[in-house]
Parts: sequence; C-alpha cells; structure tokens
Amino acid sequence: MSWTDAHVRRLFWRAGFGATPAEVRAWAKRGRAATLDWVVDGPRGGARLRGPAPNIRGRRLDPVNVWGDDVLWWIDRMVRTTYPLQEKLTLIWHDHFATSQQDTPLMLAQNRTLRRGALGSFRALLGAVTRDPAMQLFLSLADSTKQAPNENYARELMELFTLGSGYSERDVREAARALTGFSSRYSNSGLVSIAYRPDQHDDGVKTLLGRRGRLGPDDVLDLVTTQRQHAPFLVGKLWSYFVATPPSAGTVRALATIYRRSGLQIKPLVRAILSHPALYANLDAPDLVKAPVVYVAGALRTTGTYVTQDYATWMLEQMGQLPFDPPSVAGWDWGPAWMSSNSMCQRFALGNYLVTWGRPRVRRGSAPATLTPRQAFQRAWSAVGEPPVSGATRATLEHLAKHFFDDLDPRWRGTAGWRGEALQGTLRHLLLTCPDSQLH
Amino acid sequence: MVAWRTGSLLAGAALAAALLAVVLAAPTADARRRTPTTAVGVGAREYRFAEYRASVPRGVVRFDLTNYGEDGHDLVVETRRGRVLGRTGKVGSGRRAVLQLHLAPGTYRLVCDLADHEARGMHTTLRVTR
Repeated sequence: MSWTDAHVRRLFWRAGFGATPAEVRAWAKRGRAATLDWVVDGPRGGARLRGPAPNIRGRRLDPVNVWGDDVLWWIDRMVRTTYPLQEKLTLIWHDHFATSQQDTPLMLAQNRTLRRGALGSFRALLGAVTRDPAMQLFLSLADSTKQAPNENYARELMELFTLGSGYSERDVREAARALTGFSSRYSNSGLVSIAYRPDQHDDGVKTLLGRRGRLGPDDVLDLVTTQRQHAPFLVGKLWSYFVATPPSAGTVRALATIYRRSGLQIKPLVRAILSHPALYANLDAPDLVKAPVVYVAGALRTTGTYVTQDYATWMLEQMGQLPFDPPSVAGWDWGPAWMSSNSMCQRFALGNYLVTWGRPRVRRGSAPATLTPRQAFQRAWSAVGEPPVSGATRATLEHLAKHFFDDLDPRWRGTAGWRGEALQGTLRHLLLTCPDSQLH
Repeated sequence: MVAWRTGSLLAGAALAAALLAVVLAAPTADARRRTPTTAVGVGAREYRFAEYRASVPRGVVRFDLTNYGEDGHDLVVETRRGRVLGRTGKVGSGRRAVLQLHLAPGTYRLVCDLADHEARGMHTTLRVTR
C-alpha cells in the first residue's frame, strides 16, 4: 500500500483528532509501518500534554467543582495529548460503558479508569468498570444483595458490554445473583466507598451460560468474555467507531482471531483495524461523520488553537454529545444521527468561534484584497490547518473569492484591505464548517 | 458573616444560561476584585448531598449545585445557628443552579429545606478557613 498525505490525514482523524500540516508531512515521509507504530503505541514514556494549559479569561480549570470544566478539561487533553489514540479510545469506552447522572468526582475517576485501560486487556477493563463506583451506582450494582438481586448491571453486561445476543433471561437472573455483594457507604458529604461484602453475596449454586457452580462476580466476567459470541461482538462494535462500512464476515473472523489469540488485548485488535485497507478506502470521499467531540477537539487541535474560552461545553451540549452525560446506558447514536439541523447550526457557531478567538483569526493587514482567488484560497486553507477539501469545494470557494469584490471599483482594491480580510474570514469559516469538514 | 451575595440561578439543561441575580450588601468593587472565588460542587439526590470540597478559604464561594435525583431539591446555606445566608430556590430533576456568597471563616450548614428532606439526610457542613 502506498503511503501519502491523504493516508496520514485519514489515519490521524480516525485514530485521534486530526493531523496538523507538520504531522502530515513528517509521517507521510516516514512511511506506513512507522506511522502506525507511533499512532498505536504512542510516544515512549507515555502520553504528555503539549502547549499551554487552559486559561479561561484568567481562571484555571476546576473540573471537579465548576460545572462544564470537566468537559473543557477532557477536550484540552484531546487537543494537547501526544497520544491521541488513547484519548480516542477513552471516548469510545465512555460510549461503550456509558454512565451518567453521577457526581462529578466519580465520573472523573471513571474517566481515569477508562484511560488507564483504554488499550490494555478488555477483561481487566471490564473488571475495573464493574467495580467502578459511578457504574455501580448508575446500574444499581451497588447494594444489590442476595435478598434482592438487581438485574440492571447483569443485563447490560451481556446485552451492551460483551455479548449482544446468545443468552437467556435465566442467564441474566443468575448473573445478577452472582454479582451481588457490593455495598455502598456514605457520610454526610457523599459516597465514602463501595466495598465487596461476602455476607451480602449470594453464595448459592447458579447455572450461568451453561456452567454450574457457586459463581461470584469474577466468574461472571470470565464467562461472558469467553463466550464464542464475545469476540465478534466486540470486533463489530470497535470497527464501527473507525470504519463506516460494516466489516465482511471474513474480516470479523480474522479480527476475532487476533483478539482471542492476544488474550483479549485491545491494542492488537485496534492496530489490525487501523491497518485494514477498508480504513483507507475512498480517501477523496470520506464517509464517517465526525462525532461532535471529535469535530470540536479536532478543529482546535488541527488549527493550533488551545482552550481559552468555555464555549466548547455549551456547544457540545447543543451538538448532542456532552461528555460525562450520555443519553442512556446504550451511549450516543453515532453516524448521520449527529447531523441534525440544530447540531449543524452549532458546528457553524464553532467556526465563528475559531475565526474570532482561535489561531485561524484574520490579523489586520494580513490579507490584501489584491490576492488572486487561488492565493486567497491557499492562504485560508493554510490558516485552518490544510484540511482535506474536495475539488468541488475548492472550486466553489475560489469562485466565491473571484466574485467577492465585484461590487468594488477595481481602482479601490489596493486600499480595501478590510474587504480582503472579510474574504479571508469567510473562506476560513467555510473551510472549517463545509460538508467536507463534517466527515473524516 | 456574609458580606455580600449574588442570588441563585436556575439553569435549564438546554443552555444552563447564567442568570446571576441581586447583589446585596456588596462590598466595594476593589474589595471584590481582591477576593478570590472558590467553587464548591454539590450533587443532590434522595436524600443526601455529595459535597465535592469540604473546606474552602474565606472569600467568595460559588456553589455549583446539580440535582441528580428524581424530586426537586434546593440548597440553603446557613450559619450554625440557623440564620439563612442564601438559597438556590427549588431545582428540578436533572437541573443545575449556582449560588454565590461571600463567606467569612467559620463552619456553615448546607441543607435542603424542602419538605422533610433535611431530616431524611440532606444536610452537610462546609468549613471556611482563614
């Protein structure tokens, strides 16, 4: 497979939050294998944050206590991380193990858990999520006792987290019994701990997914992750975040084999998906809709703009993807569902924000009205991070640039810098919000 | 002792627009500029508060209340002797509110005074240090 700028852009958008022009040029030169290694394995020594920390009009973020700062804190990580795939997987697991309506410190703790396990063992991640206080409270696993086992977590564990199908109502009931025993403790200031109390656990014999015994919580997790349908289920789910076209049966089998042989490791599976030719199909016609979080973080990252305003929180809520607040345990509806009229309106508002406050803002005196249409387009395209643009979009924008001064006496063009700057603002805004920019 | 307060704000889930209300007994503008603001996140549900910070330095304290419960709740800040210093007003399920107060060193009670919510456990304390 050849390896071009377009390949790098596709990989960096799908695996993270886009590529800057410098990254595109550097990794196109270094080749496919080196690029994939860097994207998947991350920098030596782990992720770091590059660039200035958020400063909201002189205020440092307080993600625990100030509403909305938790969102800005995470967006900032996506913008400044040296390991974007780790943040992308954290976002994917936040959707997969969707949790909401829990206290902010618990949600931030869960976010750290998801990041820590983002590319490790799925079984270990599942164990951590099962014991995670925010999840335990959200799906009523905490305080599910042998006298009154709650089936919420057992049901979603099988339906949404690991299997999808191939289990019975009886399996749900038996798993609920096996998962009993977690007990919460509160003080006047909130949750103190969730601990496993053997005296609250149902230690009777259960029959779950064909196995009989005195099963406990870890037995349940071992059983669901060793079912035949688990690997194809997880392969299909992870694939859908990276490639719009569903995988063939053969691809699912091959990826499921990689996943199983690795001992249910996430990283080799993700590496195989990111290496798959389907990910690089139709490089000039992208077909995966950017999720709002990806759109916002990607626009900031690829234009070299840092978090200096709190608009992202409000915009993401209006776009339909407020982190830490998924609509249900099933997560968000991805794909074309993101493109509602209200969401698109907010995406345009983000363009306004970027050309007003962000790095792509037009500096006075920087864009004379005497530039040729091609020069004007090129300047705008460079200023917004050289995003992928179709030939049709480019032709439309150059047409706009050509006729932008039609009402102006040609003799005045040399002194009409403000009109040239207005054109630059318009072109940059359209490049950031045009149909091409909604897909990756 | 309270030097000034801004009123409460009820924020809709859609925009959660800030609607800071009345400033009472406000200190001078200079004094306000010098006073740091410390936020205290508070989660409410039946029938308990989760207080994300139990101690703050003296000055302006901004309470960010989120109601995670199914019933309406409010947040009332009062002295240990029960003098009410500020309240958010009733906050519906899934909604947010902000209450901003200027607090001197001491210990304050945070309660929900709707129906019998306080008696059922919706009370906690905040320590303000020098």
